[in-house]
Amino acid sequence: MLCDDCKKKPATIFFKEVLPGKVTELHLCEACAQKRGLMMDKKLSPFELLQKLLQKRSAKDEQVICQVCYLSLAEFKRQGRFGCSHCIEHFRPYIENLIKQIHQSSKHVGRRPKQGARKSFKVFKLREELRRALEKEAYEDAAQIRDRLKDFGVDDAE
Amino acid sequence: MLNNIRWLVPAKQGGDSSEDREIVVSSRVRLARNLSDFPFEIKLKVKDSERLLQLSRSVIERDCPGQYIDMKELTSLERESLLECHLISPAFLKMNKPTGLYLNEHGNISIMINEEDHLRIQGLTGGLNLTDISAQVFECEEEIGRDLEYAFDEAYGFLTSCPTNLGTGLRASVLLHLPGLVFTNEVEKVLRGALQIGMAVRGLYGEGSEIKGSLFQISNQHTLGLKEEELIQTIIKLTHMIVDVEMKARDAIFTKAKHEFEDKIFRSLAVLRSARVMSTDETLNLLSALRFGIGTGTIKDVSLDVVNEIMLVARPANIQLYFSQILEEHERDIRRAEYIRKKLGGNEK
Repeated sequence: MLCDDCKKKPATIFFKEVLPGKVTELHLCEACAQKRGLMMDKKLSPFELLQKLLQKRSAKDEQVICQVCYLSLAEFKRQGRFGCSHCIEHFRPYIENLIKQIHQSSKHVGRRPKQGARKSFKVFKLREELRRALEKEAYEDAAQIRDRLKDFGVDDAE
Repeated sequence: MLNNIRWLVPAKQGGDSSEDREIVVSSRVRLARNLSDFPFEIKLKVKDSERLLQLSRSVIERDCPGQYIDMKELTSLERESLLECHLISPAFLKMNKPTGLYLNEHGNISIMINEEDHLRIQGLTGGLNLTDISAQVFECEEEIGRDLEYAFDEAYGFLTSCPTNLGTGLRASVLLHLPGLVFTNEVEKVLRGALQIGMAVRGLYGEGSEIKGSLFQISNQHTLGLKEEELIQTIIKLTHMIVDVEMKARDAIFTKAKHEFEDKIFRSLAVLRSARVMSTDETLNLLSALRFGIGTGTIKDVSLDVVNEIMLVARPANIQLYFSQILEEHERDIRRAEYIRKKLGGNEK
């Protein structure tokens, strides 16, 4: 099938407009579709979109700060990266729109972390606490931490 | 001598539809995960990154047995080779922090520790095999998640350094060999269709890399708002569609110019079996013709596994590891030709 407009090139774009009482169908080649303004612009990738959206800066950005890692919203916009798992909570109202535009969605519907025993992580953290207590020569605290470690079946005498 | 590249595992058969193994070269799935109790990469101090490495390592070693590779103990050639084998990302090599890599026993799952995200869990396999490889990646991710708490938000899912990975943190991709569509000039049209439904299209080595050997990588761009299974199914469906149009393009080519194409395929094989000097790019292009020949049944005495292996081992760093020698470019081209002749039962006289 040839293009309805130029009648030369093969039609590769099919356009259908449905209005009450009237249906228009067009078969166009790419060049003619472009002329009629029917072609979509090249879609920006999420990453390109992010770079573009991060350019929108405001004087207030310096004052919005993550209370855990102290990353400011301004710095987030410069680097395009979060500083910790709490940044989202502190930046939420300011970045909701940005995330929605990048992903065309604002709600995670996928998998969730499985609630496991997390034993080794707790043990790891307790050992860190123990190390710090010993550094400070806080032996009473250290003894308590050792007891808690024993609850996990770890006899940590170091 | 393949043992010289100790992480090289030839792609296995089987999967979602193994008959397409010539067109769908490989399938890959990666998950980005961060631990809630550590700052993310831009705020992570070297000392903390060491602790994170140590902690993750102890957990992964138990949950997902395999070999641990301390990146700083590798030579630059070995690091480059990991990249050529698609086991690590280019960004991983640029990290100025302690980094580690985990490879499971089968060599199809790799975990980068201290990349842009704390953990990047990746599965890589031959053919169209996304369902199977993603199941393995999720199993591994879940095992690790029982011991380490992932950063997670009710609205935004798994939290990642970069907002573009929020939600599932999942990137699924397939590497496609599309000589038919390249030849009939339809490839751009087909790939633009992929872009319109939210997929990214790239060359063999990811973002910004050139299209060589008629190889294209297709992956999802969005990670939020869709279930992991939906993202994967979309890519599988799209892949089937592209395989279909590729087959049609091939039929058209063969109806029009069967002898010319068979000639091109056999000439390519003859060059691969006889050449004395061979660059990486030339290898990729000739292998593309050979692959095409195997797919169309024109070539019967070379297996796809051999082609896949050559595709990997012929890369600049891998070929040096294969011969256990540091080789200058010209020397490399000579040894590459030698290796290929050997693999294809070529002409030594």
